[in-house]
Amino acid sequence: MAHVVTPLDQPSNYKDSQARLDRQKQNELLARSSTLYIGNLSFFTTEEQIYEIFSKCTSPEEGGGIKRIIMGLDRNTRTPCGFCFVEYYTHAEALACLRYVSGTKLDERIIRCDLDLGYREGRQFGRGKSGGQVRDEHRQDYDPGRGGWGAQAQRLEIERRREVEERYADAQEGPGAVAGGGGDWKEAGTADNPLKRARSPDDQGDSERAAPRARMDDDHARM
Amino acid sequence: MSYHGGGHRRKQYRGGDDYSGHDHRHETFETPEQKLRKSIINLGEVDPVQELSRLANDLRAANDAAIAAGGPAIPAITEGFRIGVTEQPFKIPYYATLLRLLHDPATDAEDNASTDGSPALGKQVLEDFWKGFQTFLDKLAWREIRFCIQFFAHCTMAGLVSSQTLFELLRSFTVVLQEFGVSHGRAMKAGLCAAEGLMIAGPIMLKSGTDVTEIITAIGDYSESVNSTKTLVQPVVKLYDQSPVIEHADELLDSALAALNALVASGFAQTVDSFAQPYADFSPFPSSPFELPSVLVPPEVIELDGLTTEAGEDAQVKKEEWPAYFVRLFDNDVTPDLTTPSGYAVKSAILDIIDVFEVNRKECARLLLEYPKWTLHGTFKPRPGAPEQEPVAAKNWQLENTIIELTLGSVFLLPESIHRSIYYIALITEICKLSPQTVGPAVGKSIRKLYGLLSDGLDVEVAHRFADWFSVHMSNFGFAWVWKEWVPDIQLSVRHPKRRFVRQALEYEIRLSYYDRILKTLPEAMQSPEAQCMPEETPGPEYDYDDPSKPYHDSAQSLLSLLRGRTKAEDVVAHYESLKNTISETAEVDVNVSTVVRSIAVQSLLHIGNRSFSHFLNAIERYLPLLRNIASSGGTANIDARMDILNAVASYWKRLKNMVVIVFDKLMQYQIVDPTDVVAWTFLHGKAPTGAVGDSTFDAFQWDVLKGALDKANGRVTIARKKVTALRKEADDTAAKAIATEGAAMDVDADAKPGELYAYSTADVMHAAESPQLTTALKAFATLTREQKAALSRTVDGFVDYLVAADKSNQKAGEVITEKEWHNRVNWNEEQWETWETWCWFRHFCRAYSPYLRNYTQSLEVASMSKVASSGPAVDLFKKTWNIATGQDV
Repeated sequence: MAHVVTPLDQPSNYKDSQARLDRQKQNELLARSSTLYIGNLSFFTTEEQIYEIFSKCTSPEEGGGIKRIIMGLDRNTRTPCGFCFVEYYTHAEALACLRYVSGTKLDERIIRCDLDLGYREGRQFGRGKSGGQVRDEHRQDYDPGRGGWGAQAQRLEIERRREVEERYADAQEGPGAVAGGGGDWKEAGTADNPLKRARSPDDQGDSERAAPRARMDDDHARM
Repeated sequence: MSYHGGGHRRKQYRGGDDYSGHDHRHETFETPEQKLRKSIINLGEVDPVQELSRLANDLRAANDAAIAAGGPAIPAITEGFRIGVTEQPFKIPYYATLLRLLHDPATDAEDNASTDGSPALGKQVLEDFWKGFQTFLDKLAWREIRFCIQFFAHCTMAGLVSSQTLFELLRSFTVVLQEFGVSHGRAMKAGLCAAEGLMIAGPIMLKSGTDVTEIITAIGDYSESVNSTKTLVQPVVKLYDQSPVIEHADELLDSALAALNALVASGFAQTVDSFAQPYADFSPFPSSPFELPSVLVPPEVIELDGLTTEAGEDAQVKKEEWPAYFVRLFDNDVTPDLTTPSGYAVKSAILDIIDVFEVNRKECARLLLEYPKWTLHGTFKPRPGAPEQEPVAAKNWQLENTIIELTLGSVFLLPESIHRSIYYIALITEICKLSPQTVGPAVGKSIRKLYGLLSDGLDVEVAHRFADWFSVHMSNFGFAWVWKEWVPDIQLSVRHPKRRFVRQALEYEIRLSYYDRILKTLPEAMQSPEAQCMPEETPGPEYDYDDPSKPYHDSAQSLLSLLRGRTKAEDVVAHYESLKNTISETAEVDVNVSTVVRSIAVQSLLHIGNRSFSHFLNAIERYLPLLRNIASSGGTANIDARMDILNAVASYWKRLKNMVVIVFDKLMQYQIVDPTDVVAWTFLHGKAPTGAVGDSTFDAFQWDVLKGALDKANGRVTIARKKVTALRKEADDTAAKAIATEGAAMDVDADAKPGELYAYSTADVMHAAESPQLTTALKAFATLTREQKAALSRTVDGFVDYLVAADKSNQKAGEVITEKEWHNRVNWNEEQWETWETWCWFRHFCRAYSPYLRNYTQSLEVASMSKVASSGPAVDLFKKTWNIATGQDV
């Protein structure tokens, strides 16, 4: 069913400009990706709002769902700077967003979705010179949802702004800064899964933090 | 994302429509075949009738040129027809006309055609087209099959196909209806194929003396045989009524049947008013028509993977289709009546566009608004500004209302829509964007009509989807709704469906936006807390131990400061253990110390993660050992501990109930609690956050929690099955490769590296002994199907307990299902509405999870039905619902 019209879930021109992979490899990865890059968000939009609209494309009966959301932050101020990553458990869910969510409004802005190669450490931060997204460096218009020209904002949004500014003040950098979201179901009590095992104090600690990291690396190896 | 700044590249990604494809930019060159195909697909971009003869000449010329160049262009032309017919069904009558033209010899080269003796181009294309149909049939590609049959029917009317062989073709589809144990999906599609073919080609069949009643009787008999099934999927509920016909919705196959009966009664006189026949003015086709070969509709192939549960039950899920009721929102003079010939023709054509163009909602919206171009003159009112036209009697419908009615009707199909509801929601948004002045009023009227139906038994799941659509739609259009007109309804019972809807719709709007923004959209009368339209307070967390005067404040603060300081998990666990002692020393006698400590720990954990979804994930991922310790309570699996965890979550997020669903989801994902725990919680404690009055009531929030748990359990089985299948295939492939390589190695083993040989033979040995991964996967599959069954069983238990338990009589459950009480519903109190709603959710559970329930019917009945009271109207309705859902005799 693609002879008459172009399906909306075809890959677009979006790419991670800093990915060090050739085009063909990137396309192969995108054809399996379950991660979306979401652009043109308001700086005030919360992860819960994002979760709400993107949960409408999940297929839990197929083992899907929202794995995690990674909010894009200004690298200097640690405040949202208008983009995020939404990671699903399945590729089909990401495609559904391209068909049904991309180009519709969230928080009264038209948002844009694109398949992404997958989150890697450091990508939660803006790449513009002043810490935010590059597009906001060059923007010529007044956009209240993205900080206006300068620090102006609509009156109603002042309270939201205060919350937003504090929310990610604790954001960390480096490995393990971003949670994994929970992996596949595992049998309790097997070697690689300490679920419900009688615990002793000395085998815990940092090993727990390593688990999601390992899974992330694994994701990348597969992708 | 550096390209954001570069203006010169911007236009390339703006909007999906002008997608040019980064890798295809230089591929604009088209082969002659592609050009040919495209010219057929694009037929009618300006005016179909005007273009036909020119296109026919072009095709003939192209074919001649192709013959001169080596081979005829028939395959390319046929492919164009095939794509045109199956992907643009609204053009089918014009494709039949084009084919009719291709049967005529070329006007300027008459001698040529008659001398070379080859059959007319049209005839060759039709023969080739038939082969394509056969392929669709072999694959049981129902949508394509249906459109091809419509095409053949039009060709029959144009004289190109013999009416007797078309009749035989339609008959081979009604044979399907009489198959033993035919699935509803298969029967419905076959029935529609036969019915539509007959509607279009009825006049010529009648003329040739064919007895068409056989086809109609077959469809009618089948429809009657599924009458009881229909009652479970009607969008407007009458719990006392068994009738398949209801006031506010039409069933698709039954409507086709009604339309057919009307046609037969008039000797198919209405066909000409219902379907475009651009070929009608042509002189009769002089040659003998094409004889369609006889066919058999192949049986459904179900790929069995042979995976069963430990108890030997078939664990494969066979999704079954149900009768399709489309909600009726407007009167017959505004939108067509699906049960009339012309109404069916228009409405089913629009439904087909909505279905076929799901891949691109923007194009779909455009095509829907352009649809009148393809219909008979006078079907729809002219657009504002277009030249006035003489209204056609009994037609002259409103296009926008018809489109919105059908799109919403598709959202509200039960148990589930064909595509995700967000597709239809986004489609309506696009249609509104294209023509706000004409579509806006249609949307507004639809909302008012649906709101009105809430008083008349609109199914709770339909109401749920209505609120979902409403909120997303408003989110796309500035939350501009005229709430004022619903102010008088504030006087209704708090649990009245209308009030439930307002509350739910506002809650969903808040989720997509924020509290203050939505509050601002309401009239004062609805803003006040007494009106109970908005949540009482701004949604947010509720940490029970914040206030120093509250009990356990100090203990909670001590734990909280450790968590905030990112203290190592094992130290927090040690502190958690010590808290038990501290509290039991000071607590009063009747306090359950374990519950208190668990609540402190879970709430504190949520508290440090309350800033956002990812903060929450970070918090629980960091302190998984603590959660596991709480859940297992020192080694033994403890259901009380898990209920305490879930209760603590529900209490912490009581002012933001969707967070409860989200947190539960992740607690299941991290295997802190099992789906069955969450199901149990739904029935034991899920009522508390809903503010219900009665003891045994179930509402939309509980449904969201329940669905989350059941889908998690079912989804895990799906993944486990896929894993087993993949591993088995991998093992088979490796084995096959090993055999092949061994064979090859004997011939040319000089090139083979010793390592490779070793690897293959190892794989071979592994397969013989079943690889450890496969063993693990099979074991996981067994565990997960057991868990799935437990979750379903707990749900059935829950509903038995709420509605028909032998040891807990629920008088209301028997009361609200009677006709007398239903007519008295204006006087219903909270508890009566709650009970009615509980019945509706039970019904939805049965139909939504029917494929799973069917696999486990026997053991679920053994486990739960023994707890059902012996008799009474409630018991009868409960069992009847259960039997319909599990495919047993009613």
